[in-house]
Amino acid sequence: MAHRVNKNGMRFNPTQLRKLLGAGLLSLSLVLFATIQPTNAATAQRVQVTGEIIDTWCYVTEIMFSEGTAHHQCAVWCALGGIPVSILGKDGKVYMVLRVEGDDNSVANPTIVEIQSHEVTVDGDLYERDGVNYLIVNKVADDKGVINMTHEDYGIQPFGE
Amino acid sequence: MKIKSFALIAAVTAAGFLSAQSANAADEWGIEYEEKARVEAKVVDLLCEVTGDCVEQCGAGTRQLGLLLDDGTLVPAVKNFDPFAGTTDDLIQFCGKRIVADGLMIKDPLMPMFVVQFRRLAPDGEWGRANNFTKNWAKSNPDKPANQWFRHDAEVLRLVETQGVYGIPGLKAEE
Ligand SMILES: [Cu+2]
Repeated sequence: MAHRVNKNGMRFNPTQLRKLLGAGLLSLSLVLFATIQPTNAATAQRVQVTGEIIDTWCYVTEIMFSEGTAHHQCAVWCALGGIPVSILGKDGKVYMVLRVEGDDNSVANPTIVEIQSHEVTVDGDLYERDGVNYLIVNKVADDKGVINMTHEDYGIQPFGE
Repeated sequence: MKIKSFALIAAVTAAGFLSAQSANAADEWGIEYEEKARVEAKVVDLLCEVTGDCVEQCGAGTRQLGLLLDDGTLVPAVKNFDPFAGTTDDLIQFCGKRIVADGLMIKDPLMPMFVVQFRRLAPDGEWGRANNFTKNWAKSNPDKPANQWFRHDAEVLRLVETQGVYGIPGLKAEE
């Protein structure tokens, strides 16, 4: 199951990088990074993201199991409570959704609540700022519905009903 | 995945147990990476601040809000003091203004975010508990228990009725 622990496996901190690359190669790699990363925080990258629509708060804080069927109801509560909704990408990253197909409503947006916990593929513009991935969804290209059957292992989160 | 039940209990029941406290200082919720924090910051519309697509009054409650710190760091304000609720109702009145926000700075490497527990207009406005979501819900639902809003909200009930508790129509919870 794709849990957030995956993200740690994908990241290298500077010390690990140095060990991996050696000091000389590190400076070269930094130059390469600098050229491919947007220098202006307000520059968008065209992206396609595939993943599950999740509640940002429960997932990031790990206060409960927060993926799939087991967490669907709670994810609906949180979305209707106005907590930001995100897409948990297959890459392990969390993409906070700020607009969907031209609709700027990101607080309990009925369209998003309706597809909570679905696995979707979206085309969008990604803005990275201060460690947060903000996503403008231009098009929901695919919607597989709720397919992450976690309730058999995790019941109904967080109260069992 | 580890499940941090203390944090869950704190996050879900905090409003019920602690609202009687008068001290305007944040409670710890036991969340990994959390730090109690009191910050002075400008309340901004995230979509506007991040993409330049700006509207009147930060969207008047329809857009997610964030805190723009003096060093230019933007942190999304994702959680208030109510169970399962965000901060829009607590911050929208301060759109474009500087506030003092008291709560938890969660510097999670996956995504940093802020929990607003109290806020006031900077530098010395009156403190208010960040629980406007349930206050507003109670006004619309005067005969229902606001601390259990998520069990009684009409839209929640409609969605659970039509989609099922698991989000798959026809798939029912075992008794
Ligand atoms: Cu949850």
